[in-house]
Amino acid sequence: MTGEQLLLLLPLIIVTATAVITMLGVAIKRNHAVSCLLTATGLFLALLSLIIVAQYPAQEVTPLLLVDSFNEFFTALILLAALAITLFSYPYLCNLEDHQDEFYLLIAIATLGALVMVGSTHFITAFLGMETLSVCLYGMVAYPLHRESTAQYPMEASIKYLVLSAVSSGFVLFGVALLYAQTGTLHFSDISVGITQGIANGPGAEYFIVASLLVITGFAFKLSLVPFHLWTPDVYEGAPLPATAFLATIGKIAMAALLMRFMSISGVLDSAAITHVLAVMAVLSIIGGNLLALLQSNLKRLLSYSSIAHMGYLVIALITIDSAMGGANESLGSEAVSFYLTAYVIMSLGAFGVMMVVSDSGHERDHIGHYQGLFWRDPWLALVFTAMLLSLAGIPLTIGFIGKFYVFAAGVQGAEWGLLAAMVIGSGIGLFYYLRIVYRMITPLDHDDPLPVAGIRDVIPHGILLLLLAALIIPGVVPGALMTLLQSVVQAL
Amino acid sequence: MLEWIGLLPAFPLAGFLALVLTRGNLPRRIAGVIGVGSIGLSFLLAILISIEFLGSGLESHTQLLWTWMSVGSFTPGFSFYLDGLTVVMLLIISGIGFLIHLYSTGFMADDPGFARFFSYMNLFVASMLVLVLADNLVLLYLGWEGVGLCSYLLIGFWYDNPANGYAARKAFVVTRVGDTSMAIGLFLLFQQLGTLNIQEIMTLAPQQWSEGSGVVVAASALLLGGAVGKSAQLPLQTWLPDAMAGPTPISALIHAATMVTAGVYLIARTHVLFELAPSVQLLVAFVGLATLLMAGFTALTQRDIKRILAYSTVSQIGYMFLALGVGAWSAAIFHLMTHAFFKALLFLASGTVILSLHHEHDIFRMGGMRKKLPVAFWSFVIGSAALTALPFTSGFYSKDAILLAALEQPQYGTLLWLGGVLGAFLTAIYSFRLVFVAFFGEDHTQDAPAHHSHDHAHDDHHHGPVREITGFVMAAPLVILAVLSLVGGFIHVPVDSVFGVHEEHHASTLVHGFMIAVPIVGVLISYLLYSGAPQGRGLQQWLKSVRESAGGGALMRFFFSGWGMDKLYDFLFVRPFIALAQLNRRDLVDQFYGLLVELARIGNRAIVLTQTGYLRWYAISLIGGLVLVIGIGVWA
Repeated sequence: MTGEQLLLLLPLIIVTATAVITMLGVAIKRNHAVSCLLTATGLFLALLSLIIVAQYPAQEVTPLLLVDSFNEFFTALILLAALAITLFSYPYLCNLEDHQDEFYLLIAIATLGALVMVGSTHFITAFLGMETLSVCLYGMVAYPLHRESTAQYPMEASIKYLVLSAVSSGFVLFGVALLYAQTGTLHFSDISVGITQGIANGPGAEYFIVASLLVITGFAFKLSLVPFHLWTPDVYEGAPLPATAFLATIGKIAMAALLMRFMSISGVLDSAAITHVLAVMAVLSIIGGNLLALLQSNLKRLLSYSSIAHMGYLVIALITIDSAMGGANESLGSEAVSFYLTAYVIMSLGAFGVMMVVSDSGHERDHIGHYQGLFWRDPWLALVFTAMLLSLAGIPLTIGFIGKFYVFAAGVQGAEWGLLAAMVIGSGIGLFYYLRIVYRMITPLDHDDPLPVAGIRDVIPHGILLLLLAALIIPGVVPGALMTLLQSVVQAL
Repeated sequence: MLEWIGLLPAFPLAGFLALVLTRGNLPRRIAGVIGVGSIGLSFLLAILISIEFLGSGLESHTQLLWTWMSVGSFTPGFSFYLDGLTVVMLLIISGIGFLIHLYSTGFMADDPGFARFFSYMNLFVASMLVLVLADNLVLLYLGWEGVGLCSYLLIGFWYDNPANGYAARKAFVVTRVGDTSMAIGLFLLFQQLGTLNIQEIMTLAPQQWSEGSGVVVAASALLLGGAVGKSAQLPLQTWLPDAMAGPTPISALIHAATMVTAGVYLIARTHVLFELAPSVQLLVAFVGLATLLMAGFTALTQRDIKRILAYSTVSQIGYMFLALGVGAWSAAIFHLMTHAFFKALLFLASGTVILSLHHEHDIFRMGGMRKKLPVAFWSFVIGSAALTALPFTSGFYSKDAILLAALEQPQYGTLLWLGGVLGAFLTAIYSFRLVFVAFFGEDHTQDAPAHHSHDHAHDDHHHGPVREITGFVMAAPLVILAVLSLVGGFIHVPVDSVFGVHEEHHASTLVHGFMIAVPIVGVLISYLLYSGAPQGRGLQQWLKSVRESAGGGALMRFFFSGWGMDKLYDFLFVRPFIALAQLNRRDLVDQFYGLLVELARIGNRAIVLTQTGYLRWYAISLIGGLVLVIGIGVWA
């Protein structure tokens, strides 16, 4: 490994060092603020190091990791999200009657896992990244364990996630093993060659379809696509809000980026069977997710259902990556996926951010009733929340609209009319439950405020909300810059 | 300078936002400065841009402002388009807009809704500028609807009187009929030509359609529908007289000088389509002729000072339509400009009268005001002279051009010309009737009210001594507009390159002499009838006897009610609509959507059952899902 290659791994190295230093800091003397600051600084430095990394042309660092603009873009996105969650966590964890420091340790290591996932072109690193991320998430979900009043939910959520995630990892491993048994390689780009040979003079196409589907099923579990979605609401609800936010944002970006890389390199999308399966999962996720969210009054569960639907929209664009080939605009599908992911991260981080600002580890304000009359008590928070919800619903002049439009354009180009019909129906249903929250925020309380939302006054969380709001509106009004950036990013694929 | 064109509507828009976001909490001084200053900046910029544009000798200039996004081949963007026609409109809108804003700071000084008033006014100017700057019909439509909204908000500005709210609603609904027609026209154009860019349409239309083909007739007729709605022409003219419920500066700006001429602008802008559809163009001429005569007769009988001016506006726009209909594009725009000068002057002067007389609208309860209200009096004399087209005033040149062009129309020239001249005769009588009744004769302000004809009067209605309310801010616009009304006829409208023709009209001295004589005769008759002059006794007696005879009285009432159009529409449309709505009380269409809602509810109830919370069930579902997925993959 040359020095240049080490330089290319700088974000990974810095995040690892952050975890180690934070751990050492905790060993010397516990201090919540210092741990938070150390983690945030480390993540920020990793972000800065990307400036150096971006100077170099794309190259493989060992056969395991590929550092290209695609990797760099998603690394930046993950680091930004992790930084925001770290800063949101501090006020949230302040009144936890337990040690707070290890939570930041878990954030740093989970981020590392996610970074490995978006850089991997090899099953070894992909699996390693997935497991690093997941194992940390088990801990994060169960974090407020020693708090008697709320202990049972985090534990239940963590166990559910642990068991089901293990099963899905089993699927992935089994699929990888089957692929390896016939092709003799774990590298994404070699697999397509192996598959072509194997279909011609091996066990036949069905074998590879089953093997690929096992892998994709495992991935679909992490993206919580129907019918592998049942865990999502329970885990989202039981986990403390920063963990939920982490799961909902970084967990999804890393997995979706990995899936996109896997699909476009390994060429499994060339198989009509795989496309069929993905299409069925997309339609089921869109309709199912939106229907499940319809009358939900717990906002964490509601957002989990809505995330199922959003991942369904994402899969539509994913499918068109293949069908767009040879069309007028080959990269439209990948552009749409990347744009949608970016939009999704901004708007869910914003929505969870508002919830984190009004909650703390003792009082999670995740019921829709908590937000009644918010417009009259805290117009600023209500404004941010409304903007995020409108964006999730896909209302114009927000990034969510452009994202949805992008997916739609990709679908039209791929002539996926059935999927687009599902998307239209789903968006129609979705509008109802997003606007229901907005409506509740406008409805004044008719009795003496029994559950006042005591939004924290720290400047940092509000500053992040402001940045997220800007990131929501500006690309919604002038999306040109982000689109150009993503076009160059997906060229790398 | 030309690249700053996007700032033209941006200034008033910023003013609107500043006034709206502060929710009327600004001190009046500052609100006034923002409201007037934003328009002033636009006006200055418009002047600079016009000078540069006209000096550059360019035929047109297109400025791309913003491309929203570019996904595949879909690239929606905003562009502004500047040519001679736009320059004229820009200067009229921002210039007269500025004067009227300035006047309003005096007129509205004591109104509790001061900031709200200026916020709507600023939004109006911004929308109107977008309308005339738009390079495609969709953007034009945005401005079109924007001015419609502001018109609605400002007619109902004094919303605590339900009658004003009703007038605002009426204006909104009636113009909506025209807007719908226009929207369909746009759909048709887009479907046929694949573009809504105005200049592209103007080039494509003659290539794709032959003269008089069905599509172009339909498209231009639909656009005409939009134009008659906005410009209050037959058959959609009924909203404008009621729109006088708004504060008087609104009537001056929106319902006389700018918005109502948008229809004229639209037709001039898309004149190629109308040239391709001669039958529709002829229809434009006859709509204008019929409207100008009808409104002229109605104006003769009105008592409310603003309603007289409103009908006169309808009638003058009728002249513009007549000009458009005979292909005298630049004459129409010329008259649009001069009309903006003198009608704004008349309305603002009437505002001074109304304010000074404590919201008195009835001209028969004024009288002898020429001594007490000198500024208003002279404004009215000059404005009416221009409106009547007395020689050497601005209205004379523009109306002259229109009538001569009408005479040259090959088929119906003489008819159109005679109608136009009759209209000019009526104009002379009703304008000077207003002047003589309100400003000459005896003072009737202390008379007991004969009847409450002025139901649009503002609420705080009390009588006191008459004193002209005129500070600098109210007097200066009147003086400037008066000067423009007098000399505006010498301004050359730089639109020849837009319409591709230089219009020159020649006629015999006889025709000219006739056209000069008719208005003067009208003024004389008006003098004899209404000034109380002893020489006119016989004529006055005759008028009285006509009014008292059964047939004459009925005719007067018929004219007074605007030819019974309101009643007719009430009978034809409003009542059947209400009956239909009552019949369909349980909205049939709604049932379908109710069904959708019910379906979603059922789906939700069914699917929620899968969320049991049991880990074992979740694990089994994973396996089941995998089996399903592989099943689909292998056998589907």
